[in-house]
Amino acid sequence: MAEIDSPLGSNYIAGEHGNVAAGIGVSLAERRNLSIIQVTAWPNTIPTVLTAIGSATGLIIDNKPGLGRVAGEKSVFGFAPGRFLVTAASADLETRLRSAISADLGTIVPLTHGRCVIRIAGPASEWVLSKLFALDFSEHAFAVGHGRATLHHDIHALIQRVDQDAFDLYIFRTFARSFWTILGHAAEEVGYRVG
Amino acid sequence: MTSSRLNTGGRIERSRTIRFIFDGKAYTGHPGDTLASALLANGVTLFGRSFKYHRPRGVFAAGSEEPNALVTLIDGEVREPNVRATEAEIHDGLVAESQNRFPSLEHDLMAVNQLAGPLFSAGFYYKTFMGPAIGPLRGTRFWMFCEKFIRRAAGLGRAGMAADPDRYERMNAYCDVLVVGTGPAGLIAAETAAATGARVIIAEERPVAGGSLVSSGELIDGRNPAVWAREKAELLAGLPNVRFLTRTTVWGHYDGNVLAAIEHVADFKPNRTEGQPRQRHWVIRTGKTILATGAFERPIVFPGNDRPGVMLADAVRRFAMEYGVAAGSNIALFTNNDSAYDVARTLSQAGVGIGTIIDVRTDISGTCRDIADVAGAELLLGHAVTATHAGKTLSSITVQHFNAQTGRVSGAPREIKTDCLGVSGGWSPAIHLASQAGGKPEWDEDLQAFLAPEAHQNWVVAGSAAGYMDTISVLSDAATKGSAKHRAALPTVDAPMFDASPAPVYQIEPDGKTQKAFVDLQHDVTADDIRLAYREGFHSVEHLKRYTTLGMATDQGKTSNVPGLAIMADARQIPITAAGTTRFRPPFTPVSLGALAGERYGDLRPHRLTPIHDWHLSAGATMYDAGLWHRPMIYGSPGETIEQAYIREARTVRDSVGIVDVSTLGKIDIQGPDAAEFLDRVYTNMFSTLPIGKARYGLMLREDGIVFDDGTTWRLGQDQFLMTTTTANAGPVMQHLEYYLDCIWPDLRVHLTSVTDVWAGAAIAGPKSRAVLESCVTASKVDDATLPFMGIVHARIGDIPVMICRLSFSGELAYEVYCGAGFGTAMWEALISAGTPFGIVPYGLEALGTLRIEKGHVTGAEIDGRTTAHDLHLDWMLSKKKPFIGSAMLGREGLQDNNRLSLVGLISLDNQPINGGSHIVADATPREPADSFGHVTAACYSPALGKYVALALVKHGSSMIGRRAYASDLLRDKHGPVEIVSHHMFDREGSRMHG
Amino acid sequence: MIIKCPYCGPRDVIEFVYQGDASRTRPEPASTDQAEWNRYVYDRANPSGSHREYWLHSGGCRQHLLVVRDMSSHAISSVSFARENTSSGDRR
Repeated sequence: MAEIDSPLGSNYIAGEHGNVAAGIGVSLAERRNLSIIQVTAWPNTIPTVLTAIGSATGLIIDNKPGLGRVAGEKSVFGFAPGRFLVTAASADLETRLRSAISADLGTIVPLTHGRCVIRIAGPASEWVLSKLFALDFSEHAFAVGHGRATLHHDIHALIQRVDQDAFDLYIFRTFARSFWTILGHAAEEVGYRVG
Repeated sequence: MTSSRLNTGGRIERSRTIRFIFDGKAYTGHPGDTLASALLANGVTLFGRSFKYHRPRGVFAAGSEEPNALVTLIDGEVREPNVRATEAEIHDGLVAESQNRFPSLEHDLMAVNQLAGPLFSAGFYYKTFMGPAIGPLRGTRFWMFCEKFIRRAAGLGRAGMAADPDRYERMNAYCDVLVVGTGPAGLIAAETAAATGARVIIAEERPVAGGSLVSSGELIDGRNPAVWAREKAELLAGLPNVRFLTRTTVWGHYDGNVLAAIEHVADFKPNRTEGQPRQRHWVIRTGKTILATGAFERPIVFPGNDRPGVMLADAVRRFAMEYGVAAGSNIALFTNNDSAYDVARTLSQAGVGIGTIIDVRTDISGTCRDIADVAGAELLLGHAVTATHAGKTLSSITVQHFNAQTGRVSGAPREIKTDCLGVSGGWSPAIHLASQAGGKPEWDEDLQAFLAPEAHQNWVVAGSAAGYMDTISVLSDAATKGSAKHRAALPTVDAPMFDASPAPVYQIEPDGKTQKAFVDLQHDVTADDIRLAYREGFHSVEHLKRYTTLGMATDQGKTSNVPGLAIMADARQIPITAAGTTRFRPPFTPVSLGALAGERYGDLRPHRLTPIHDWHLSAGATMYDAGLWHRPMIYGSPGETIEQAYIREARTVRDSVGIVDVSTLGKIDIQGPDAAEFLDRVYTNMFSTLPIGKARYGLMLREDGIVFDDGTTWRLGQDQFLMTTTTANAGPVMQHLEYYLDCIWPDLRVHLTSVTDVWAGAAIAGPKSRAVLESCVTASKVDDATLPFMGIVHARIGDIPVMICRLSFSGELAYEVYCGAGFGTAMWEALISAGTPFGIVPYGLEALGTLRIEKGHVTGAEIDGRTTAHDLHLDWMLSKKKPFIGSAMLGREGLQDNNRLSLVGLISLDNQPINGGSHIVADATPREPADSFGHVTAACYSPALGKYVALALVKHGSSMIGRRAYASDLLRDKHGPVEIVSHHMFDREGSRMHG
Repeated sequence: MIIKCPYCGPRDVIEFVYQGDASRTRPEPASTDQAEWNRYVYDRANPSGSHREYWLHSGGCRQHLLVVRDMSSHAISSVSFARENTSSGDRR
């Protein structure tokens, strides 16, 4: 099977960048080789679909806006009514979800090729992300595991908080290189490491 | 030497010296100095020339309200004009220059404008430049002629031509309480708010906290108030729930408790760390705002009040207490209220002598008398300043008897020597941010000032901004505003008691011809201008403002609004409250455009790249910005022009085979049991009848019957479709579909997902395209039986899964091949290598356009928001069997009119290119204006026809076919004969694509 | 301006697209009453005061919201999902 190209191309330069004299504020990395599947329930099937996602992935969440869960490489979160993003490193994620969720429960759209996942981690993560997104990134407003749909100018992004100071950013593939440049620029002030 | 550095005092760091340059001359100052304080310390009192009259001007205030001392800061090629010298902090190597003077500040030739005083009075531009209705100077022509001279003579600083290399950033912030200002009110309010555990942001415009406390002569808790304020601020800044921003001006107050602020992160630093922005634009969303913005002192208007050396009384105190600078060697004060006595008291404590205090009132308190006595100042009660005398800076003033009740000046003039006159006309609470997000300000007769209006959002005003004018009541007011639950312990204040109410005296008007009396120093608006506006009928404050430009300069009239209104009220013989006031608008102080643009410029502007982008670059493509997309325009060979390249590419497609990146097409995944029904409603033609594994060309209209978008939609399953849209309309089509599902047909069970980014697409077109596919596609046949026109197969190229649909935009036998975007380049390279034996060429947007123009296929240039299906000869797509969006309004008279523009082809008869946008006219000779009966939407050279051709929208299009006309583009000097032909200019029968 | 999305919470207006008057009702699709269609497509009241309108949360959950907003003060009195507002639109 062919390997999925990174949309970041030669703009992905491993190493330390920006004002690293005062330390590394954030680390930036592309998460590769993930299966990214969108599941959408019908209005009356949301709890059933959440149970099905739980059985397919082991990640069980309640039906509340933006709720999510992270376990290692696997994650799930809601970002619109009845709509969830499920991510795992295993290639059979789509098959498992399709067998758990029939057409009368909801629909499945594989987005693996259409999204670039960037993990930003480190003490200055909230500071750097606040430059780009009009979201309250403080932990009491945006708890670990939760997801948000938002945008930076024209660039739509889904954001999941995967740890106290770490976030996964799901960026539309065709915008990813542009966004990566913007993110690096924003992180220069605090010093950042790629890789 | 007039002004000078005192031996002690101020928050400047005297042990360190900073070197800077003003108007080419080197000066020194200390850390903590502003440009204004450092220059005053060096004895410099002349800072600039005025806006209209080029009068010499000095420093008038000590803070952000400064109207006069505007300078340009210069960093190499980069110029930042109109910076207030009272706010610019100096650093080593700072270069500043004065403004609006020619050739130099000392000798300004334009100062002759003063002699022509009446010429520049209120309404000057309207009266002078509204030309006659006829003749060579009709309308605005005289203005056009004079403009460049006037622009040079009048104005502020000049911006540079060099790009600003600085970095600006945006920061989004959220809090429960935002406190604006850190004077006594702000500090106490912030302390009480923070004690409740709320998330608090504190914003202070100046480099240090404390506000009035920094220069106050009072004692707080028995201690120096500046030290008390600094310690309180440090305590607050150390709390985990507080963010304390200094050098941060909150400049806008918007709907929903959103406030905008500029933080001057590095303006004052000679060197910045890597990645550090010069300014940071904060957008703060808060639960509640406490506006502790203090008050501005305002002047009294009197003849000659603009001389360098005349300044606000409190500014004299601030220079002494904050910067250790005496603004003059022989200081006089002129007042209508008690606050000037507090200035006198503080100055004499600091060792700065006061020669004379002139007070318009006859009856003042014992406290005030005692202060004058202790300061050793001569007290002239019931007097006013009626003239000033100066060379480059103030040398003396004329004083006369004044009756504050009648406003009459009388008695013999007396000349008093002084080089610095501190003026106080009372205080105006700084209600700018409150006014931006509130109702009409309310006039307070006692304070002679406007108070904050009724709040429309969750904000409160605290301290002197709320009209509390002494430190004790400021502190107790602020403590109640910080939190309803929690109250701070208030410190003790040791201060004399003053009366906050000024005498209602705004202007001193001696009889006879006198010197100009300025109200708005920055725009050179005089008291006479306001009275002239009144006589000419411009009475309302809104008219007054626009006719005289009062308050319209960069300082927005911080010191001039109330005196201006008072003078108009006096002229109209009505109370000020009846004269009303204008509403304040953002920004509170000027904001640089760079800070607002933030990171959205240059390389950091968002853009979109197709999955095959890097291949295009390595193949030497010339890229083209199409919206946010970067797309190949041509793949030029060395020495080829753009035209030669696209002609070669298009010809190769017709002769053998070409390949083009179509990944930019909008793609929407449509799933659900009602998907087919939904498509029947949104498309003009039927989709429920489309078999699985087939595609159909679809047309969408708007509700008003006008064409909206077109594209092919593929049925991938019983309940699953893949819709493609034009590149430009991908977003709008998605919104259109979502609107109908959410708002009109919520009962339909359909899910929509944008999958534009999921798929890479390549269109392979030309007579040899099938042969290319046959040589590389596995897992499915691609012959005519397996893959007929509009058929779809799932197959593989190498190990890449692909979907192939046989459809054609070029008019040739053609296929669109899709795969996962991450495999896009691999698929593309596989197709190129499979096509090489067949002479395949990649082609760009120009050739794509050429092929579709030859075929008369429409795109956004023809689907322009005005054309109907009938206009574009697409009425065959309008189903009669079902209603669809737009069907109800299609039949309207105007949409059926024979006079409508409709699509035709044009062939150039003089073998010259036809310009896009040309008008279609009947006249053989170029003429302006001419009757246009159509326009060119797209044009190219057609290799298939061997002619320059175009598509056009032309009146009575179909009946014009065969007629001759002219394509006229007078802007680009082109006017040439064309023949109107059918829009199907090539292969009308469509035999090639079915081949 | 801030709109409080029922799913995403309070968000800046920049994330939303105005989608027009929500007080009108679309005629029956098969209706040929031109006056009725004309009212639906073109006639707007532009009241000074309370107004029902649709906003698409295009930068968030992509749901259409029914927003009741005071046109003179911009104060928003209610926000709900357009889908759950059964009085909007037609049923076919």
